[in-house]
Amino acid sequence: MASVRRESPGLGGQTGVRSPERIRLRVNGAWHAFQVGADLDPAMTLAWLLRERLGLTGLKVSCDEGACGACTVIVDGKAVLSCMVLAVEADGHEVLTIEGLPKDDPVIEAFAEQCEPGYGTALQCGYCTPGFVMTARAFLNQNPTPTMDEIREALSGNLCRCGCYAGIARAVLHAAEKIAARGDRR
Amino acid sequence: MKEPFTPRVPRPFVGTYRPRVDAWEKARGKALYADDIATLPRFPNLLYAKVLHSPYAHARIRALDLSAAQALPGVVSILTYQDPEVARLKPTSAGWTDGVDTVSYERMMWKRFRDRRVLGDTAYWTGDDLGVVVAAESEQRAEEALRRIKVDWEVLPFVLDALEAMKPGAPVVHPDIAANNVLPPDAVGGPDVYLSKGDVERGLAEAEVVAEATCAYHNATQGSLDNWCCLVTWDDNTLTCWSNSYETDQTRMHISQMLDLPIHKVRVVSSFVGGQFGRGDTGDQPFFLFTALLARRTGRPVKFRHTRRESFHDSRQPTLYHSRVGARRDGTITALHFRSIGNAGAHADHTLFALKYAPAEVAEAAFAPIPNVRMESYGVYTNKLPACMMRGVGNSQLNLSLGQIVDVLAEKLGMDPMEVVTRNFGHLWEAPPDRSLTAVLREGSTRIGWQAKRHAPGQGPTLAGVLKLGVGFSFHPGWHAEWQEGRRGKIQVAIRLNPDATVMLEAPTVETGTGSNTCNLLGCAEALKFLGIGPERIHMASTVDTATCLKDTVQTDSAVSYLQSEALAVAAQELRRKVLAAAAPCFGLPAEALGVAGGFLFPLAAPADRRPLQEVLWAGDLVPIAVTLSRPPLAAKTGVPFMANFAEVEVDTSTGRVRVLRLVVVNDCGTVMYASGAEGQQIGGQCMAVGESLTEEIVYDPVKGVPLNFNWIDYQIPTMADIPDIEPVLMEVWRGGGEYGACGIGEGVVTCTPRAIANAIYNAIGVRVDDLPFKPEKILAALGRV
Repeated sequence: MASVRRESPGLGGQTGVRSPERIRLRVNGAWHAFQVGADLDPAMTLAWLLRERLGLTGLKVSCDEGACGACTVIVDGKAVLSCMVLAVEADGHEVLTIEGLPKDDPVIEAFAEQCEPGYGTALQCGYCTPGFVMTARAFLNQNPTPTMDEIREALSGNLCRCGCYAGIARAVLHAAEKIAARGDRR
Repeated sequence: MKEPFTPRVPRPFVGTYRPRVDAWEKARGKALYADDIATLPRFPNLLYAKVLHSPYAHARIRALDLSAAQALPGVVSILTYQDPEVARLKPTSAGWTDGVDTVSYERMMWKRFRDRRVLGDTAYWTGDDLGVVVAAESEQRAEEALRRIKVDWEVLPFVLDALEAMKPGAPVVHPDIAANNVLPPDAVGGPDVYLSKGDVERGLAEAEVVAEATCAYHNATQGSLDNWCCLVTWDDNTLTCWSNSYETDQTRMHISQMLDLPIHKVRVVSSFVGGQFGRGDTGDQPFFLFTALLARRTGRPVKFRHTRRESFHDSRQPTLYHSRVGARRDGTITALHFRSIGNAGAHADHTLFALKYAPAEVAEAAFAPIPNVRMESYGVYTNKLPACMMRGVGNSQLNLSLGQIVDVLAEKLGMDPMEVVTRNFGHLWEAPPDRSLTAVLREGSTRIGWQAKRHAPGQGPTLAGVLKLGVGFSFHPGWHAEWQEGRRGKIQVAIRLNPDATVMLEAPTVETGTGSNTCNLLGCAEALKFLGIGPERIHMASTVDTATCLKDTVQTDSAVSYLQSEALAVAAQELRRKVLAAAAPCFGLPAEALGVAGGFLFPLAAPADRRPLQEVLWAGDLVPIAVTLSRPPLAAKTGVPFMANFAEVEVDTSTGRVRVLRLVVVNDCGTVMYASGAEGQQIGGQCMAVGESLTEEIVYDPVKGVPLNFNWIDYQIPTMADIPDIEPVLMEVWRGGGEYGACGIGEGVVTCTPRAIANAIYNAIGVRVDDLPFKPEKILAALGRV
């Protein structure tokens, strides 16, 4: 069943739990600065900042308590639940959202293309998809040649209520094949 | 590589394996849902609405003190049950329509059970919306305002259990509607004994073998990831509502009728929806109305969105079934009796749809050969959260009983249960054995290895000292043949052919994830094969907007997969005639003397003198050739297809843990409209059903009446790690009317799984556990270990 297995809630690093007056974070390659108080309440999450201040609505906030994985983004190379991270904790960190992946990212391609007979598609309603893509992207960065058991373990923190797990697992396998074929280990 | 499905009639587009049309948008995170539209970058002036929820299972507001909330900075407006625009709203229901047709207030399906007040003063379950809604500059501020409102509660007695609620002296939930909590018979659902054929008691008396059984379905919840969300603006007398409702035309009618607005002054927009699964019954939800009233009061866009906790808002109906069956020694059933008691929860909505209406349809489709049948049912109000539709409406509950009594009877007869099924079940239009039913059972049993794995109950080998294996199955009729969709009224589609031979397709339906838009695109390409184009040259909007669209075909009965394609097949013939008429001047021949195929126009007398379609169109007036069609579903009764589910389980007799090792899901689809999508439905249905069978259950504190697990840590939805090997099998045996003769499968794929698993557990351990979910403590209790 759903389990929280990623880095949360704190990111550690430079800022710890101190609330700075001004934060800077790098999102999809570009630095952004925010005034705490004026631009955001210090209690706001990274998910809120990304969606409501930067318009990056790819990530979804579904459970808002770290149980579903729909809000997953990559921070400093690791999959992170952005609903469980305060925006101020992201100060100084590098954030990658699904909008920051190239269109030909092998994980995106594999999720979109999955129609191998017997496994269904890798997405239906699509609401969980960005979270799965980012979890899979971070996972394949660390383990580009996973076994099926490793895939099931790595993706078991994300919920898909449409139940596309068989298609998603195939998509991750195919993404790994694409990565190997391209020699692409970003 | 698994074995792909082979279509009965190979077609270039319909029935193929391919990516979904929305796959790229969704895989890149570009698909917009209501919550993505209702954001500050798009609506900087946004206000947030939060509604009061009852902390008690049954309580009335005596008085409110709003002063502390009104004094809070950032609170813009507070609307209460005492405000005239709220107080004058008519009592309502969330079951106006079954989500198939659009209905007005007066024609709502269950008008006898209008038990919902919009922001009323009484709460009927813990978590019920009532009394007060706040609009504030942020969600947090709105929540803080609610906390500061002083409510003088009159706490009322409550009841959670349906059987307790039926007893004399039990707390009464809606005394004006059901004095003893039992929903009275009404014109739509019929009497308590809603189906009676022959004489069941005589049939039982004449039987040589009689069996009876009971089972209990529990309170599962839909769990769509995309929490209910709406955004309402009300400017210049026009109300616009963006939402993740799965129906736009009915939502427009609901708002228009409840707020007394002309239909053309209400605009409803739905884009992508992150899962539906029957939540909100048909979506005539009060929150649309109080959000709209706040938008009018404040003159600002107002957003209302459920939190995850608030999204535990509806559920599958907990139902107790008792069944009796009589048969001759040869296995012929002489009598069949089902009696059910459904826990409606706090609001009736579609309770009697699940308890009477849908089971009566199943009886028509599956019990026709049995001479004596009685079906009776009682819907009971309690103070639990409302319960009705969830990926089906009453089917899963009935199937848990049907598959049980068949298994029990077969054992008493010493027969293979599959033989009992094929001998006795089928519909009016084909004598047993039904071809479709026989085919799905044969295919499923072969794939699961029935003959090799089935053994006497509990008599299989014991592995590692404690593990027992078993197999089981269940079956159910499809209920989505086109003739069963007549209530929808006309299906509307439009095709416009551009001068460059591209196509604008209008086949509105809210894409909730089912793949309906892909089906429509494939159906359109198939129908327009004569233009020589494929789906890549057809545009179809993913957003449904009542200001610009035809009526949407609602995502229920999963029938959208073919209903609009059937209409498109007809519309395409009209387009063909118009294309030939447009080409006539170019050829200097009458339209009747011309043909079109593969993207070329030609004189029928001289096919070699063909000219490309585009060349002919470019020579014309460049006005798109348009066809709009409103067509009712075909009414000819063509029987029904069947489905079956087979399960293999492993039960650990030391811990009580059940592992589902393998599921085979077999659907006779008539025609598979989109193979990848259909397999996705089959697999996805198993995932949901495994959750319902093993782990998902809403748990209440019986003393306080408070639900305890409205979150996804304690309400356990399966993850990838919990899912067994699933084998989806698509078949085309039955055939309905029309161009394709397809049926829907989306709800049916969860219907049989719990019973298949239950029968497999019995086969493994030799004792029955018929109370969902099959948690370890129940298994151990059945084994006498606790």
